[in-house]
Amino acid sequence: MAERRKLEIPEGVKVKVSQGEEYDFPVDVSPMHEGERIRKGDMYVELAGPKQPGFELVMALPAEDVEDMKVTLVGKDLDELEEGKAYPFAMIYYVAGEKIDNDLEPIIERRNHDFQNYIEGVMHLNQRYDIWIRVGKNAVEKGLKSLITVAKAVMLLFKNEMPFIEKVEAVYATDREFVEKMLKDVAIPIFEERDARVEALHDEDVEEFYSCTLCQSFAPSDVCIISPDRPSLCGAITWFDGRAAARVDPEGPNKPVPKGELIDSVGGEYSGVNEFAKTESGGVTERIKLHSFLECPHPSCGCFEVIGFYMPEVDGIGWIHRGYPEPAPNGLTFSTMAGQTGGGKQVVGFLGIGMSYFRSKKFIQADGGWYRVVWMPKELKQKVLKYIPEDMRDKIATEEDAKSIEELREFLKNVDHPVVKGVVRPVDGKKITEGWVEEREEVEEREEVREITQEEVQQTQMPFPEFQQLQQFQVPYMQSGPKIKLVIKNANITIDKIIVKRKEENKK
Amino acid sequence: MGIKIGNGTFVIDELRNITIKIGQIVGEEEIEEFKEKPEEFTTPRPHILDLRHWDRKLLSRYEPIYAPVQDFCNLCTMGPCELTENKKGACGIDLRTQKARMNTITCLIGASAHAAHARHLIHYLLEKFGKDHPIDLGPDIDITAPNIMLVFGIKPKTVGDLKKVLDYVEQEIVRVLHTVHTGQEENYLDFESKALHAGMLDHVAMEAADIAQIAAFNYPKGDPEAPLIDVGFGVLEVSKPIILIIGHNVLPARNVDDYLREHGLENEVEIAGLCCTAIDTSRYDPKAKVVGTLSYQLRAIRSGIPDVVITDEQCIRADTFRESAKMGIPLIATSEASVRGLPDRTDDNPDTVVNDLVSGKVKGVLIRDPDKVGEIAVRVAIEMHANKCRKFGNDILRDVEKCIFCMNCVFACPSNLRIDKAMKFAKNGDFRYFEKIEDSCIACGKCEQVCPAEIRIVDVIMKATHTYMVKKTGKMRAGRGPIRDTEIRKVGQPIVMGTIPGVIAPIGCPNYPKSRKEVAEIIEEFLKRKYIVVTIGCHAMDLGMYRDEEGKSLYEKYPGVFDSGGLANCGSCVSSSHITGAAIKIAGIFAQRPLLGNYAEIADYILHRIGAVGLAWGPYSQKAWSIAMGFNRLGIPAVVGPHGSKYRRGLIGKVWKKDAWYVYDIKTRKKMQIEPCPDCLFVVAETKEEAIVQLARLCMRPADTYMGRQIKLTHYLELSKKYLGCLPDDWHLYVRTELDLPTRMKEKLLKLLEDSYGWKIDWNRKKIIEGPVRGYDAGFNPTMVEQVYEKYTREKLDDKP
Repeated sequence: MAERRKLEIPEGVKVKVSQGEEYDFPVDVSPMHEGERIRKGDMYVELAGPKQPGFELVMALPAEDVEDMKVTLVGKDLDELEEGKAYPFAMIYYVAGEKIDNDLEPIIERRNHDFQNYIEGVMHLNQRYDIWIRVGKNAVEKGLKSLITVAKAVMLLFKNEMPFIEKVEAVYATDREFVEKMLKDVAIPIFEERDARVEALHDEDVEEFYSCTLCQSFAPSDVCIISPDRPSLCGAITWFDGRAAARVDPEGPNKPVPKGELIDSVGGEYSGVNEFAKTESGGVTERIKLHSFLECPHPSCGCFEVIGFYMPEVDGIGWIHRGYPEPAPNGLTFSTMAGQTGGGKQVVGFLGIGMSYFRSKKFIQADGGWYRVVWMPKELKQKVLKYIPEDMRDKIATEEDAKSIEELREFLKNVDHPVVKGVVRPVDGKKITEGWVEEREEVEEREEVREITQEEVQQTQMPFPEFQQLQQFQVPYMQSGPKIKLVIKNANITIDKIIVKRKEENKK
Repeated sequence: MGIKIGNGTFVIDELRNITIKIGQIVGEEEIEEFKEKPEEFTTPRPHILDLRHWDRKLLSRYEPIYAPVQDFCNLCTMGPCELTENKKGACGIDLRTQKARMNTITCLIGASAHAAHARHLIHYLLEKFGKDHPIDLGPDIDITAPNIMLVFGIKPKTVGDLKKVLDYVEQEIVRVLHTVHTGQEENYLDFESKALHAGMLDHVAMEAADIAQIAAFNYPKGDPEAPLIDVGFGVLEVSKPIILIIGHNVLPARNVDDYLREHGLENEVEIAGLCCTAIDTSRYDPKAKVVGTLSYQLRAIRSGIPDVVITDEQCIRADTFRESAKMGIPLIATSEASVRGLPDRTDDNPDTVVNDLVSGKVKGVLIRDPDKVGEIAVRVAIEMHANKCRKFGNDILRDVEKCIFCMNCVFACPSNLRIDKAMKFAKNGDFRYFEKIEDSCIACGKCEQVCPAEIRIVDVIMKATHTYMVKKTGKMRAGRGPIRDTEIRKVGQPIVMGTIPGVIAPIGCPNYPKSRKEVAEIIEEFLKRKYIVVTIGCHAMDLGMYRDEEGKSLYEKYPGVFDSGGLANCGSCVSSSHITGAAIKIAGIFAQRPLLGNYAEIADYILHRIGAVGLAWGPYSQKAWSIAMGFNRLGIPAVVGPHGSKYRRGLIGKVWKKDAWYVYDIKTRKKMQIEPCPDCLFVVAETKEEAIVQLARLCMRPADTYMGRQIKLTHYLELSKKYLGCLPDDWHLYVRTELDLPTRMKEKLLKLLEDSYGWKIDWNRKKIIEGPVRGYDAGFNPTMVEQVYEKYTREKLDDKP
């Protein structure tokens, strides 16, 4: 764990100090300025950014070390900077409070971006050591002279928005040497330590998960369970965020969910989660397996960025993202499939997820994880390529390889995708699918019609071993199918053999 | 091993050696339309009384407040009956009920206009494209017809399906129309319910019209990057023959456009439009130009610029033929709705018709078949242009000299514009005051009729500002059609997380109280603040008409997406159904609430959850009124400009009536008092400033997350301070928890809550201990409909103690 200590301000550097609260700012402070873009021509100075070093950092310190509402500026102030130039820039905040620990640092840090942007005439982009700030001429004209004013406004917002921050102190710096040294010696080690912690933390390492029921304002029975290995469906809330929010307001929309008993370690089913989901969803959801696709999948509200869909023809799973307009190999578009799920419902066969779940080490592990994935649009595949195990990268088809089930089958056969011979899931080495059953020669045309018994039907081998478990399996209809469709109800059908084939396009 | 197949269908390619016993074969459509057991509590194809229970709920919370522009009724010959001071008419009706009856009539006129427009379009499309022409709005729109699904109860797949939808709408309109005959309702609320019914039907008709024309004419299919169109009086290239089309039905304009293209004339002849026909033509062909709104009709004709004028239907001045004839511009009427006393020349040889019009033998004709208009119009325009001598003289001073400053014109003017002042300045050679007037003048011409000196005032204004007016050009994004399902999904998270504060929908006509520019100023305030703005019709045009210092119009500054800070132009009047449609889609997508025939449940959902507000800053027409009533029945409030008070009534909740603000919370299974939001459904704002604050206020909903409420309150308070100079007097009502408070003002507001409202604050934790109407609960699941409560809790309300 990297050490948290107040930065040492070197001797002989120009330093300006201010203590105490400020309420009157020469510029407006409001969320309405959040999207304000300051173009080069309108810019007074640029701080950090692509040409200069810089960083922002929040450090949790013991209360006695933090001098509340104190700002120390190391280096030149705004009114001493030359117009039109770029300068190095660092923003360090020391925070203290009974509930604050190191895990909360990044959560608080992220809000710096929002709050800087609230300030009229200040634009803040990116985070950590990529920050890029511009102060506009309009702000300077209105009387913004000092970076200390900026710091004071942000500190006030921090305390108002996150009442668990009892004390906050800031060090802002424009001095090149100081910024570079602190970046190297203090900030980078802390960022690395944080990343390592996020990377290493898994569902089994924590006592409780967090819920998110914010979406209930639109999807009244939806419940999101956020675990270290499963961020919220919308991608906006991680386990750490959930934990921070639960501290501010344990009765709020992000409640702690005690894991309870582990029911299924592979699927990620916990008694505590089930109980919680049942209560919070008003009984709609009774069981959730966090890392399962085909059994008790996680419910979704509707804002998912990506939807997964099971294709029985190849016994594999495809993923399609919101921006992809073409139909998937099953003939359905994102919107059509997305319309099948949502509203907090669990629909087997479809799963809505956020982009960040692709990064999870437990990504649909119960169903074979990446080894069960057969198709995704190229754009999506590129985005998540680094999370795909190397031996699978060439085996997942894109629209360039397959636009129909036929082509997909062909592709999968050619690359020897695990679904062809049966998927062995990496998590426990269990073979979970049988692989494709070789298609037998088509039956002769004049074969006699004969009744077969129920037992015979039962014995008929099905190519889809998971089918019997699926309660409300959705067999999606083909959009490119014929004009007339049969929906058969309450009919006794006895079938000797079913051959599933892709319907030839009707070219007229 | 068994196979279980749930909902959904699949294709069987081949069946062999199989015995299938089938009890009954039914068509797919029938199954969808007549479910054996309809969803609980649904009302597919509702008749007048089927949703009365919902209207009663709305009307008891949002009470009608009447502001009669007339106190008497003269609809029957027992009258006229003066109805003031609680007098009853000869038939027994009281003033309130009579006003509600007039509302219903107004609404019926509006709904019929759109329904007839839809009928004209669909009748034509059935003939040309056949009943099986599919309604395909592209891959990103799965919920193609939310209004039709919600009201009629099917998802239409072909143009033929839309015919059935219209059959229903027309039947209902007649049933409602029947009720306004003398000697029917005696309770005003029953008439109000019927007005709401007609408003709902209007949105169904509009949706049918618009999705039909999108599917058949290949308009943009929810495309956020629909092309930018030239708009404004100055866009016309006067060196070319100009065909000016006025109205709302695109069919004749489309035929003109096709004719030009087929004959390689698209660069030789200008096609320009006024009102919604202009918008729809530009959806068909981005090269078509948009001159402007209704208020430019008289000016466009009197300018003498057009070489031929075509009228179709709705919102066309009733002196268009007379005015055109005076200017020597031939006119072609094309709609049964406005034949202008002209001879029917539909079946005549086009050569003869062209000759007659060009020679001046006839000054106008009626051509009923839209497919015959193109040839005649184009040929007339070309020939007229060749022989044109412009009549637009510059004898303005002579007119100005005649003015005797009697002020008659000022009193006749709907906006009381100070024409006298402008005349005085003009006498001294200063015409700048006329520019100010031009911006606010709707060119109705009422001033001219009362002028004792017989000054053609509209002409004077036009001539005095000619250079200013012809410089007026802007850009408007072509009507994109519906909001895509994918866009709805994308904004779900930011709305929940409070980064999008709400949806503002500027719709409607150009009868503004002051400068046309005001609507753009109102809207830009919200665009800057990252609201979603979605517009249609005349407002959509006027939003494009103004440029900033850098020469950019709002459409160039803000993207056409349905997203934070986006300005999405859906299209013409009939496209306003896509705004209600977007709200319905939210319920379908995020809550998976069944849509088919499920009106009351969805409207209740929208009222309590979706922070969308309509704005009709210059409402004038009956259509605008029925569109607003359709918004209202669906739980979406509407703010109208001052002229909207002449619609005679508002729907305004009384914040002090505690009984009105109760809901059932499905989550906690309790009846709960809520904060009064939104506190009105139909309200008039007197000024631009008031409208801005009102819009921000009406975006709040009981189900807001604390982040959502925080951002909404922030904008409400900021805007109130900015435009009205003070904090509003009701802000505290919307505070449920300290988390709702705007971050920047938190301390100050907590202090105010303690000092001015007597709330208890824990200052150590900066927490509210006591004071709010209710606390915040993320799972709060409000409904004011008992059946919805019972459906989701599976418990009977009667059984509750």
